[in-house]
Amino acid sequence: MRTNHDVWVVVPCYNEAPVVRQVLAGLLEHFPNVVAVDDGSRDASASEIRKSGARLVQHPINMGAGAAMQTGIDFALHDPGTAYVVTFDADGQHRVEDAVAMVERARESGVQVVIGSRFLGASSVGMSAGRRMLLKAATVFERATSGIALTDAHQGLRVFDRSFAEVLEMKTADMAWASEFLQRMSEVGASFEEFPVTVAYTDYSRAKGQRSVNSINIGVDVLVNRILRGHR
Amino acid sequence: MQWVKVPLILFAVLALVALFRNRQRVELRAGSRILAIVLAAAAIASIADPGIMQRAAELLGVGRGTDLLLYILVVVFTLTSLGLYFRIRESDQRVRKLARALAIERALREEGDDPELAPVDSTEPRRVQPPGE
Repeated sequence: MRTNHDVWVVVPCYNEAPVVRQVLAGLLEHFPNVVAVDDGSRDASASEIRKSGARLVQHPINMGAGAAMQTGIDFALHDPGTAYVVTFDADGQHRVEDAVAMVERARESGVQVVIGSRFLGASSVGMSAGRRMLLKAATVFERATSGIALTDAHQGLRVFDRSFAEVLEMKTADMAWASEFLQRMSEVGASFEEFPVTVAYTDYSRAKGQRSVNSINIGVDVLVNRILRGHR
Repeated sequence: MQWVKVPLILFAVLALVALFRNRQRVELRAGSRILAIVLAAAAIASIADPGIMQRAAELLGVGRGTDLLLYILVVVFTLTSLGLYFRIRESDQRVRKLARALAIERALREEGDDPELAPVDSTEPRRVQPPGE
């Protein structure tokens, strides 16, 4: 059993006070380094994070999930011993076992990025048929815009090594970060693998989760970012 | 076919491409300032002599001066909106970088990880005298 001292788990958090402490406690059992980025929550998220024993980085203003993710990655890179970064959702939809297995897989295979997929064998509890179709459509969209073919493009559980974390530099502040992530992978030619994960859609995560109509916003943002990127 | 459409369409397409590609260039900013000055001058001239607009419209084949005004307005509005959109995007990006740097620095200072950012030792006697003593 490895100690995972060279791994930082990044947990972006926005108004997740009811669950975040439990999620972080679960992570801390397997990962000594966990950083939760409180993205200007209006509830008690920050104090819940402090109580959990995880490191807290607190945005002074709300900036979006992508911005919080990048802050966590920057923080993790401050530790010279960091070899792997794991991104993990604060709402409790991911399983810690999956994160552990994905880090193991990254070490074994040596690929730069391991992305969790809800559509590779392992079942996802409580996913609606509409959501399933939307996510399928999203993979087609991602394939067309970034050229990276995945079975599940919008999934928060990802493991990547230091070399990729250093060049990632996400500019997208909102939920479209997942697309920019793939685009950066394609731009730098990162090696990657998918890994089957199970996602538990609880009433809490469903209530907190993305509304499907937001995929239109994400799609348009991705296209705009795609046109603008590279001409800075 | 009104020939004013050709330069208008061309101008719109070229301006969009130019904006997308060179939005950081000094030339572009200089160009937008010159355009603003020219438009302001034209506006003043058309107040002094309202017939100018009509004559310019006939010259371009638009027909009515008010139509020409509308076309110019559409072009200027599009350029202004795009310019503001880019500027807000970049400004947001800067705010995010600033807030991120602040958040990370504060987190590191809290735990005393980074010696350069370590909290000031409060037991050390203060050397700075308060004003008035």
